[in-house]
Amino acid sequence: MAFRLTGVRVAANSGSLEEARGRVFEFFKSACRSIPQIMEIYNLHDVISESQLRSNIASQFRRNAHITNPKGGRGLQVIDMLVFKGMEELGNIVEHAKQRHHIIGQYVVGQHGLVQDLNPKDDAISPFLNNFYKTNYS
Amino acid sequence: MGLGVLASRATRLSGRGNPSRSLFYVRTIVTKPELQSPEASSAAAAPEPTPDLPPRTPLGGARVHFPNPDDAIEVFVDGYPVKIPKGMTVLQACEVAGVDIPRFCYHNRLSIAGNCRMCLVEVEKSPKPVASCAMPALPGMKIKTDTPIAKKAREGVMEFLLMNHPLDCPICDQGGECDLQDQSMAFGSDRGRFTEVKRSVVDKNLGPLVKTVMTRCIQCTRCVRFATEIAGVQDLGMLGRGSGEEIGTYVEKLMTSELSGNVIDICPVGALTSKPFAFKARNWELKGTETIDVTDAVGSNIRIDSRGPEVMRILPRLNEDINEEWISDKTRFFYDGLKRQRLNDPMIRGADGRFKVVSWRDALAVVAEVLHQAKAKEVVGVAGKLSDAESMMALKDFLNRMGTNNVWCEGNGPNPNADLRSGYIMNTGISGLEKADTFLLVGTQPRVEAAMVNARIRKTVRATNAKVGYIGPPTDFNYDHQHLGTGPETLLQIAEGRHPFCSEISNAKNPAIIVGAGVFEREDKDAIFAAVDTIVKKYGNVVRPDWNGFNVLLLNAAQAAALDLGLVPESSESIETAKFVYLMGADDINLDKIPNDAFVVYQGHHGDRSVYRANVILPASAFSEKEGTYENTEGCPQQTLPAVPTVGDARDDWKIIRALSEVAGVRLPYDTVSGIRSRIRTVAPNLLSLEEREQATFAASLKPEVKQKISSTPFKAAVENFYMTDPITRASKIMAQCSALLAKK
Repeated sequence: MAFRLTGVRVAANSGSLEEARGRVFEFFKSACRSIPQIMEIYNLHDVISESQLRSNIASQFRRNAHITNPKGGRGLQVIDMLVFKGMEELGNIVEHAKQRHHIIGQYVVGQHGLVQDLNPKDDAISPFLNNFYKTNYS
Repeated sequence: MGLGVLASRATRLSGRGNPSRSLFYVRTIVTKPELQSPEASSAAAAPEPTPDLPPRTPLGGARVHFPNPDDAIEVFVDGYPVKIPKGMTVLQACEVAGVDIPRFCYHNRLSIAGNCRMCLVEVEKSPKPVASCAMPALPGMKIKTDTPIAKKAREGVMEFLLMNHPLDCPICDQGGECDLQDQSMAFGSDRGRFTEVKRSVVDKNLGPLVKTVMTRCIQCTRCVRFATEIAGVQDLGMLGRGSGEEIGTYVEKLMTSELSGNVIDICPVGALTSKPFAFKARNWELKGTETIDVTDAVGSNIRIDSRGPEVMRILPRLNEDINEEWISDKTRFFYDGLKRQRLNDPMIRGADGRFKVVSWRDALAVVAEVLHQAKAKEVVGVAGKLSDAESMMALKDFLNRMGTNNVWCEGNGPNPNADLRSGYIMNTGISGLEKADTFLLVGTQPRVEAAMVNARIRKTVRATNAKVGYIGPPTDFNYDHQHLGTGPETLLQIAEGRHPFCSEISNAKNPAIIVGAGVFEREDKDAIFAAVDTIVKKYGNVVRPDWNGFNVLLLNAAQAAALDLGLVPESSESIETAKFVYLMGADDINLDKIPNDAFVVYQGHHGDRSVYRANVILPASAFSEKEGTYENTEGCPQQTLPAVPTVGDARDDWKIIRALSEVAGVRLPYDTVSGIRSRIRTVAPNLLSLEEREQATFAASLKPEVKQKISSTPFKAAVENFYMTDPITRASKIMAQCSALLAKK
């Protein structure tokens, strides 16, 4: 099965923030459309539901929500670049170029690891203790 | 006409005569006609080269020490004049002149054998090349190291050596750090004339540590000389003559020395290699980290070679003041214990008695809650024998903030004397022991307690025939000694002048008394130290302004720093009434003393003895994974550096205590290592001047009078099994094999 996502191919550089924004939404929609297929390919039904996976993907988009310039400093097109990278990733996933543990590690478990504190009371603790709970290294 | 055309013309013009000389000069290793008849060519090079050379730097920081300025002689190395003291060899003179002479059998800490012939140099007016390692330098000698004769001699020696050396460098563990490999590249010929069958030799079994491939041996006899001279065991020897010459143990016997691993380092070829390291890694893929050994109180300088997250091997580092260039077998081979029995997650013991993995947040919350329920007097902290100064400082600060001072370091006994620093360190210094001429060992077996100190004493005994008197249980020494007695009554006899050994001490120029740290655990410890003080006072030569011969030989890496930081318990009985016990890596305390209803927190890196009693486990990092300060028995602080990442979810020791203090509501005021060090500066500033020995200022004469009675219980051996003394060595498989095969029964 060859990978075809014709609708969202990045053509020229985005001319304005509006255009870039449109592309991001276009790409997000195409990612959401691929979710059932991904669930099927990687046999994810017993670890995550479709809606959870969708919200995990959405949170990865939101991580970059603060980027507002389609053209970063010195002509770098940050949003276009991120969209392109995302498409590459999606392409790899849909083409089964990854293995199950890649998907689980990145999109199911996420950045926080398996052990998660259910009731983080991070309001009063020092930066040292906060870092201590995460890692031995600063 | 362009430049290119000009250049090509020039090439053509000059290239007509000798194309390779002018432009394309490539240095290759070839046998030239001049080398085939060296005598003729040296005669041709007769005009004396003027010694107009830039001053050279001595090799490897070689220093010249003139005991008597009148004894200086001048020799010329390659035309460059050097001043050396009388009695130096030609090879040493070349080293001072900055010329490296290839050698196999010569080793500057061993006696001279002169049998490999690799160090041949030309000396003017001598008919043949001379073996520079065995030839004393004479005044006005003109040494030539770079002449065709010398080069041809080396080529010839290399050819003979390679004749019987197998071509198995690709599968040899020495490959890449092999003297024979390097020197055959540098000095060997490009071809050999050998066509017969290579000789083969049966491999010897030297025990679980040293692997032998005797076919590779070039009979340099470094290992034989090391065993007899430094290790002091007569196990290795030379058998046969000529091409039948072999190194071996005379009978089927293992090499039973605590220093046997060093033969791996001194072997110039791959005949003796490390058995645990065999085929594990290549030396060029390893990352070296220069750090400190913690298995005993000597603090040997080591290099940890690691690949990724795994410690692959441990090698010694040169430190003339501490371990010279040797390390004990325990230091060299215990590293596989760093991979076994590791604690990697915080755990809490459930109601069913089984441990359950929890998050750090939960573990610290539980510990803090229990800690607050206990009364201040019922809280006890014990630092382990591998603790670094930073974490001990944090532990003491933390427990002090909780309102208790019941904190100590295991091995220091119930009521340690931390008041006078001279009372717990080796005042003479390890290298200072070489000046001593009489030793009195009280309740210490240096061979198992501190192998490197024992090697130093042996060196002194060998060099100067120093007398050694020993009080303690029967044990074996690798040098001549007098066994004076087994119990403290012998000590009293010496203190009262009723013992024949008294005359030895009073006649000695620099007597050294070494008291073992095993005495710390005795009930009558103060009385014994008082008796030693009496000896010190009675014979005025033991402690004088220019010599301090009163020494305590500590057992563990943490002891000296703990006493410097003042880890002294308020009461010696505190552990019997404790409700909350914090064990920071303490595995050798008597766990039966802890009451059954006490809550025990074990912070450490190995699932060793104390884990069976612990209620909460906080995983910490081992010495190879953290930066920590350790003070050795002579009072020299040194630092470990992290070689590998921590295992699992473990944290550095001081960070755990710092985090726990915050959860418990008594936040310690430091967040970084430098912060904790500035706290140490206010308590024991000497711990921060790394690698500098701070002398103890006050002598023991300030001590108050002791009213304790000496008991007649004989001294006990402080270390039962040399190979297994701490959590890491107890987890090591190699150390287990060693204790099964080699430990003296």
